[in-house]
Amino acid sequence: KLGGMNLEGEIESGLRFNVDDPERRRTQKFEEYRDMGEGLQLEGLRLRLFRPDESYAVEFGGSKWGREDQEFSLGVGRLGLWEFRFDWDQTPHVFSTDARMLARETSPGVFRLPAGLARALPADGPAYNAAPRLDDISVRWDTARLDFRLTPTPDLELNASYTRISKDGYRPMGMAFGSPGNDFLEVLQPLDHTIHDVRLRGAYARPDWQVQFGYTLSIFENSLASITADNPLSAVDAAFAAGSSVPGSGRSSLAPDNVAHTVTLAGGVNLPMRTRVNANFSYSLRLQDDDFLPHTRNPNIVAAAPADLTLPQNSLDGRVHVILGNLSVVSRPLRPLTLSAKYRIYDLIDDKDVVRFVNSVENDRILQTDPRQSGQWGFMRQNLDLDARVQIVRPLAVTVGAGWERWDRGDHREVAESDEVFGKLALDATPAEWLLARLKYVPSFRRINKYNTHAHVEHTVFEDPAGALQGQSTLLRKFDEAERDRHKIDLLLQIMPTETFTLTPTFAWSYDDYDFGYAPAGVRQLGLLDEQTWSAGMDLSWAPVERLVFNGGYMYERIDKTQRSRSRPVTGTSTFDFFDYDWISENADTINTVHASLKASLIPKVLDLHLGANFSTAYGSIETANPTPPTSGSAAQRATANAKVLPAFQDTLLRVDVALKYHFLKQWTAALKYAFESWDQRDWRTDTLNPFMPGTGSSIWLGGDSRNYAAHIVGASLSYSFK
Amino acid sequence: PAPALAQKAPAAALPAGYAGAETCKGCHEDQFTKFEQTKMGRLFLKHPRNSTESLGCESCHGPGKAHADAGGGKGVGGIVSFAKDDTTPVERRNATCLGCHQKSARLFWQGSPHESRDVACTSCHKLMETTSSRAQLARATVIETCGQCHLQKRAQTMRSSHMPLREGKMTCTACHNPHGTVTPALLKENSANETCFTCHAEKRGPFLWEHAPVVESCATCHDPHGSNHENLLKVAKPRLCQQCHVESRHPTSPYSRREKQVLGRSCVSCHANIHGSNHPSGHAFTR
Repeated sequence: KLGGMNLEGEIESGLRFNVDDPERRRTQKFEEYRDMGEGLQLEGLRLRLFRPDESYAVEFGGSKWGREDQEFSLGVGRLGLWEFRFDWDQTPHVFSTDARMLARETSPGVFRLPAGLARALPADGPAYNAAPRLDDISVRWDTARLDFRLTPTPDLELNASYTRISKDGYRPMGMAFGSPGNDFLEVLQPLDHTIHDVRLRGAYARPDWQVQFGYTLSIFENSLASITADNPLSAVDAAFAAGSSVPGSGRSSLAPDNVAHTVTLAGGVNLPMRTRVNANFSYSLRLQDDDFLPHTRNPNIVAAAPADLTLPQNSLDGRVHVILGNLSVVSRPLRPLTLSAKYRIYDLIDDKDVVRFVNSVENDRILQTDPRQSGQWGFMRQNLDLDARVQIVRPLAVTVGAGWERWDRGDHREVAESDEVFGKLALDATPAEWLLARLKYVPSFRRINKYNTHAHVEHTVFEDPAGALQGQSTLLRKFDEAERDRHKIDLLLQIMPTETFTLTPTFAWSYDDYDFGYAPAGVRQLGLLDEQTWSAGMDLSWAPVERLVFNGGYMYERIDKTQRSRSRPVTGTSTFDFFDYDWISENADTINTVHASLKASLIPKVLDLHLGANFSTAYGSIETANPTPPTSGSAAQRATANAKVLPAFQDTLLRVDVALKYHFLKQWTAALKYAFESWDQRDWRTDTLNPFMPGTGSSIWLGGDSRNYAAHIVGASLSYSFK
Repeated sequence: PAPALAQKAPAAALPAGYAGAETCKGCHEDQFTKFEQTKMGRLFLKHPRNSTESLGCESCHGPGKAHADAGGGKGVGGIVSFAKDDTTPVERRNATCLGCHQKSARLFWQGSPHESRDVACTSCHKLMETTSSRAQLARATVIETCGQCHLQKRAQTMRSSHMPLREGKMTCTACHNPHGTVTPALLKENSANETCFTCHAEKRGPFLWEHAPVVESCATCHDPHGSNHENLLKVAKPRLCQQCHVESRHPTSPYSRREKQVLGRSCVSCHANIHGSNHPSGHAFTR
């Protein structure tokens, strides 16, 4: 009792020690989204203060207080009338604890290399590799959420919420200085982002009809507009000659501020013949009007072409309208028959300015004299679905359906119009009380009006036939737009022979075929050719006696993709398209996941044992080969076109938890906990990466890797609960 | 008519066929004790707002007098038990819940993937006792509840590249509304991208230079449920980019393991603003 109110709750606090603590540089994965620090822990707190008649209540809770990943909440409410809630959550996201960086941030977003460097590689290579290790590269998300819900009557609900997400920290970012495909320096991108999300909702429901409205305001703010970094290959901006000037530093833009408004109106009505009609209309307006940066920070290029680099306008005046409409009708005219029809239209109208630039500057280095203009990337997507479900006999229901999806992208993308038709067959069966089976097969076939390889170039680059020839191969079909045959099967069984035993096997398979042989005879289509995924797994839940509960499961997943490409060298303005420069890559991922847990009451109401284990291992291979050995072209061109062996990617995560809980004096529980966690990863792209890698040219990395670790964690806690 | 504000509904005589909650308690004391600790139990049993809620147990289970008069028993007297072996059609059981809950997140329940496959509200929610901290779920957490059927999606959360679901910082319902939405895959917002923009608004733009597939769907390159490739990518770089980029020069080389174009973060080492750039010279997403 507290001032005429009742108080109940529980608190758990304890100590945590990391035995065999992984060294700091090995903790990226260990602390990716959590704070695994040692010491005193407030593992959980929940307090509920309420009037004896339960009409009013206040709830306060939280966990991990004082730590980087702490969270807490406060809720106040009048039962059935109103409810106010505040939530606070901190989530760290650690990208690296193993990086080295020689550059220093002299002001927000400005990275300078130390004086005294030769600004030449490989001469400065040892200095980069001896650079101090960064403690971590991480961002912390702080999320605050306020929510107020009012239910004046059971059929009217009003809701207002405000969410603020603040992201503060750094993440890796590259700055390119060379011609395309050449030198770069990795630095840190400072993040000081804030997202404000305001939502207002109202819903009114009568037994036969409901209506609701909503408004959402989302604001994104970035405190920094650009990032600047020194060039490892030049301390000064070199004189402009032959169309370029090696820059002393480069500047890149960061995400601009933006705003989005969304208004929604939705409703549903029950009609005769057990028919339900739902409709929804939504309109969104996205705005972005941040000031443009200049084409380059390199004054020598500006001086060489002062007029040509004038910006035609100071900002984009970005404006996108999104219209969404839905209509759904579901009817059960006869008891065993359900008919449904749904139509959806999503129209994204890109209404931003089309800005034409006479010249531009590539990587603060190369003056590009081909006029270029930005594009508008609107599209309209329509869906129609028709389903009929028949309960043939009580234990068996069959659903047959058909669907259609239409994309209208306009002529700025390779495929202006596509139509995809779907079929659907689903069986839901409960032949016995102890068995549930769900099977679904969905084939679909996407067809296009035409594929215009140069659509993008035609809309962004002018009077540049050489540019078009050096652009995409006409043999390419981009998988997100191209013709496709797809087949998907899903199967789920739930076997429950007793109340205390459930077995759930699942199987899924899908196959996407993109290879329609568009190429002329003797030549093959390029791009993603096919993708096959399948998975099979099983979950088991078993409580043989009241004191023992076991849960376990296994999942096998396999993803295979075949892609075909062609090495296409260029000399001057000539692009060489040798058929024997084709290469095929078979990309395969195999993932095995196991989980198991056991909860046992060793001495009822006195001593409990909890065991848990999670294991996941993934193997990803990239097997690349030339279908025919390259014989055309020069020796150097053949060397580039030759397929090379790339090692496999592997990772394994294992975590085992053991907890022994001793309940005493009715309200107290003491717990001893132990956890073992290990992480093992092989990724040839980062395993041996140093900031400077001799033989790779003149680029500098941060050199971070997700290092392997094994950690033993021991904890003890005491909890007290009261009513 | 419903009272203007949530006030205790005036005591009224039970309608014909109803036995009253105290009668139910007589035989089902354990369930009754647990139920009265739940939010719905507190509302129905202590602060009903209308005549339906004031029926207590029978507002959901149906009139129980015949059941009680017959001495009880499974299904006796036409009682709806909501148990796994309840023979009452799922549609009818769900209609009981929708009688009060057909608004807000449940407006589009009819015709939704779960409804059309005869999933019962009680497959995911447990009303008679509090098992989860919120939403009266059948299991302790959202992931465990959804994971009863979506085993493969749950397994994906264990992959090396994942959002913080297994750390308890996110749940499936951060992006999905399992009760039905106007968006494929039961996404909460109006499209896949708008769902992602809720937390990743920096990628919303509009940008001066858009990467066209990014505008259409984040899922072209990312698998939000988890991946064994960095940043939730569906395929390892550089192969991911090379699926669509068969231009001349550097995008088309098969590359060896020692080349700068594939080491580290591969293509995005230079094309750092791959989601879109607002830089006048950022058409290649390098600025």
